[in-house]
Amino acid sequence: MLFSYNWLKSFFSGELPEPKKLAEILTLHSFEVESLEKKGTDWILGIDVLPDRAGDCLSHIGIAREISVLLNKKLILPKVKINTKGKGSISVEVADSKDCLRYIACAMDNVKIGSSPKWLKEKLEACGLNSINNVVDATNYVMLETGQPLHAFDFNNVSGGHIVVRRAKKGEKIMTLSEKEYILNENILVIADSNMPMALAGIKGGKIAEISNKTTKIILESANFNAKLISQTARKLNLRTDASVRFENNIDPNLAEIALNRVISMIEEIANGKVVSKISDVYKSKAKTRKIVLEIKEVSRIIGIEIPKKDIINILVKLGFGVKETKSKLLVEVPTYRQDIIIPENLIEEIGRIFGYEKVVEELPRGYLEPIKRNESTYWQNKARDILKELKFTEIYMYSFIGDEEKNVFQLKAEEIVNPVSAFYNYLRPTLIPQMAKTIKENLKFFKDIAVFEIGKSFTKDKETFTLSGGVSCCDFYCLKACLNTLFDKLGVKNVSYSLIKDKSFWNKGKTADIIVKGEKIGNIGYLSMDICQVLGLNKNVVYFEINFEKLEKNCSRKKTYEAISYHPPALRDISGIISDEVSVDDIIDLIKKKGGQLLKSAEVFDVYKGNGIPQGKKSVSFHLVYQSEEKTLDSKTVDSLRDGLVNELNQGVNWEERK
Amino acid sequence: MDFIELKDNAEKELEKIAKSSELKSFFDKYLGKKGEIRQLFSLVKELTEEEKKKLGQEVNEFARNLEEKIAELEKEIRRKEVETEEGSQSLDVSLSNEKIETGHLNPLTLTRREMERIFELMGFSVVDGPEVEDEWHNFDSLNIPEGHPARDALSLGKTYYLKNGNVLRTQTSSAQTRYMQAMTPPIRIVIPGKVYRYETTDASHEINFYQIEGLLIDKDVSVANLKAVLRIFLEEFFEREVEIRLRPSYFPFTEPSFEVDMLCTVCDGKGCSACKRSGWVEILGAGMVHPNVIKNGKLNPKKWKGFAFGMAIDRLAMMKYKINDVRLFHSGNLKFLKQF
Repeated sequence: MLFSYNWLKSFFSGELPEPKKLAEILTLHSFEVESLEKKGTDWILGIDVLPDRAGDCLSHIGIAREISVLLNKKLILPKVKINTKGKGSISVEVADSKDCLRYIACAMDNVKIGSSPKWLKEKLEACGLNSINNVVDATNYVMLETGQPLHAFDFNNVSGGHIVVRRAKKGEKIMTLSEKEYILNENILVIADSNMPMALAGIKGGKIAEISNKTTKIILESANFNAKLISQTARKLNLRTDASVRFENNIDPNLAEIALNRVISMIEEIANGKVVSKISDVYKSKAKTRKIVLEIKEVSRIIGIEIPKKDIINILVKLGFGVKETKSKLLVEVPTYRQDIIIPENLIEEIGRIFGYEKVVEELPRGYLEPIKRNESTYWQNKARDILKELKFTEIYMYSFIGDEEKNVFQLKAEEIVNPVSAFYNYLRPTLIPQMAKTIKENLKFFKDIAVFEIGKSFTKDKETFTLSGGVSCCDFYCLKACLNTLFDKLGVKNVSYSLIKDKSFWNKGKTADIIVKGEKIGNIGYLSMDICQVLGLNKNVVYFEINFEKLEKNCSRKKTYEAISYHPPALRDISGIISDEVSVDDIIDLIKKKGGQLLKSAEVFDVYKGNGIPQGKKSVSFHLVYQSEEKTLDSKTVDSLRDGLVNELNQGVNWEERK
Repeated sequence: MDFIELKDNAEKELEKIAKSSELKSFFDKYLGKKGEIRQLFSLVKELTEEEKKKLGQEVNEFARNLEEKIAELEKEIRRKEVETEEGSQSLDVSLSNEKIETGHLNPLTLTRREMERIFELMGFSVVDGPEVEDEWHNFDSLNIPEGHPARDALSLGKTYYLKNGNVLRTQTSSAQTRYMQAMTPPIRIVIPGKVYRYETTDASHEINFYQIEGLLIDKDVSVANLKAVLRIFLEEFFEREVEIRLRPSYFPFTEPSFEVDMLCTVCDGKGCSACKRSGWVEILGAGMVHPNVIKNGKLNPKKWKGFAFGMAIDRLAMMKYKINDVRLFHSGNLKFLKQF
């Protein structure tokens, strides 16, 4: 809210500190002064009044009260004198006193609507409000001064001269002052006459009883509405006003009377109005002061420095609290304008901020030197990130959302967001692959060799899972598989195998494998379905992988054991054979490992060939074999016989025909 | 030639030698198998035993001396030759091959790790919380009950809802009470993670970003402790002296609540565009845990006190690396990522 320095000054005798200094004091002890601007002979302070203090501090008197405490200056409130008096009364009916805690109404006649005096216009404009006419300006002025929103109705348009505060009927309509029509329902509180709503209670007035140039008789409203109701209505209608912002934070119901008197006296003065009714005041349960017991030692326990008892009492008293003292406790009576003070901690905050947090001397917490607990999930994720970085991958972060296009093209089941920001972000991603594909596509415009990954959550119904996904444009399936094998090896994951996927999904059925660890599928590696590449214009040579990180993590291990290095030379042998296409290379390797003997240190595929010279349904596979002993140098006779023995085993096991 | 003359000649010749080939000839001339020193011994026959012995000693000493000098000179010559040779073949050190590509981690990961490292050193364990939360954990547990204006501000304006009524957490604080219930105090934890806000994106607003939440629960915890932990954290993080100040603020889940400002590191408080001329930069929110939140964590608020703080990792990463647009972090733009 914008505040006028001169206006604030008017509540004190004598000078206030320079505007800049005042702003600094308020920022450190009350609210942040976000802007400070010179306007003519005045200075305008933009003060970010905290939400819990909106009830008393969205007003010049509220801020002046803060200043009076902070500077130890006496606050001088304006004297209010009403010169006229009326008979009879306005009929006010409050349907539910929970919705409307208090409603005061008063009629004034003989009102001369016109433009406001210069001083009034200037003050409103300084605070960012437009001048409308003298009566409306007076209500706004009193709101800026006291914090109490007020409203004036044209008496002649209030059917029956009767005011009803009630919930709207479903389908009822109202045209507001800003000429916007709203269709109402039972959740919305309205001020109605005998027939129809005249105002959205606590939010905005309606066109029907608007003050116009022809108005001569008015009804003034000063009321207090249920904060929750106003807050929710204002947000649902997307209509937050100066009035609603104040009401939604619990204004003091006792303020209504003070503000009404103030506005009556102003209208007498600047619009020649005369009171023509008694004041109707529907106020079923009167707001009472609250009492809180504050244990004095709790103040230093929480703030962390000793604040003398007399300073504590002094601060509370200056803030308007009543204080009764016992030996170790204070019985504090909270004035009704401080609706935000409910528990002792609220009082401690008041004491702390006024005393000054800058006086709190830093002190590190004490405790046992207990070692922190390692977060295994974070640990393995970080490890995986580092390994992938070593493998020249770049880490990307993507939104958790995907849109209709991804969902439809990839045929995904995804949790829907009820209120998405846009159609691009309608769903929680069940997989990271669609975004990965899009990111790679975008980057391929500028880079040739791309290898990217992300570790982030993916979402299915009722479950969120850390997921590792990636894609590469610069190598093929086998190369990416080699990267993953290195990753698994470095993470201590053993027993990884791959098998061609069986079901159709967004993956390319012939070129994608399930990644299996100890019999459990943990992810996929492969190419995207050709359809998807075509529809989305993706490069079909990009290979992707996606791994359920939580399943992977269960298999990670920090255990590592040194294997003795042999000082005897290894003996190398190659074998090549023709074998049925149905036998996978993994099967052959398994058999080699089983039958190769202790001296066989490794067996690696170096060629797989199908086509010319090889019968239909068969393939040629070649391996490098490495034999080595820890004890002696192997002679070629021994090695040859081991090799021949293995070939024999392969022949019997998987029908391996040796190629010479 | 007599010994004196020979000595004299040899020394003079040696002084003039500058090449290793010359040195080789010199060696052969004097110390070779048929060299002049050998020949000196042929003269010896004519001398007495006494003289023989004396001359022999002198000649041997001279020969030894000469050998040493030659060896020294040889080293010196070699050194000069190597220097000349190396100098004539110098590289153009301004040249290099193409840049060798490495992988890159996202600056948010780097920033988050640095934060976790500092807090772990101070005894805070790193824990996670779910991104999809029920309304109770996201709002009620944090003392933001139905009908609270802060609840409305979040739930009706900034929160994403799922069909089953769950929400995407709007702050990492949502996990606070889970850990209060699961752990035995004293509790020292930080909770980093992704949070979600309904926003129109711009250079400083994102629809999802990262926060780190800190929570300390113990018997005696005070604002003085909070101040110390935060300043030390910021000094470690920014690797420089840091001055902070606490301003009163309001969060439903802390009381008292603070906004923590840091003296602007760009202008040292003089006022510049980075701090909007104020000299201070708002850096995080903090406060003493509200008794209702402690109660919701199934602890006795009379016995247990605590502080909590929360900051946007994205924002601190932006400050650290001088990044001017928060959207870059989630852009997947390699031109950006390859810088880290």
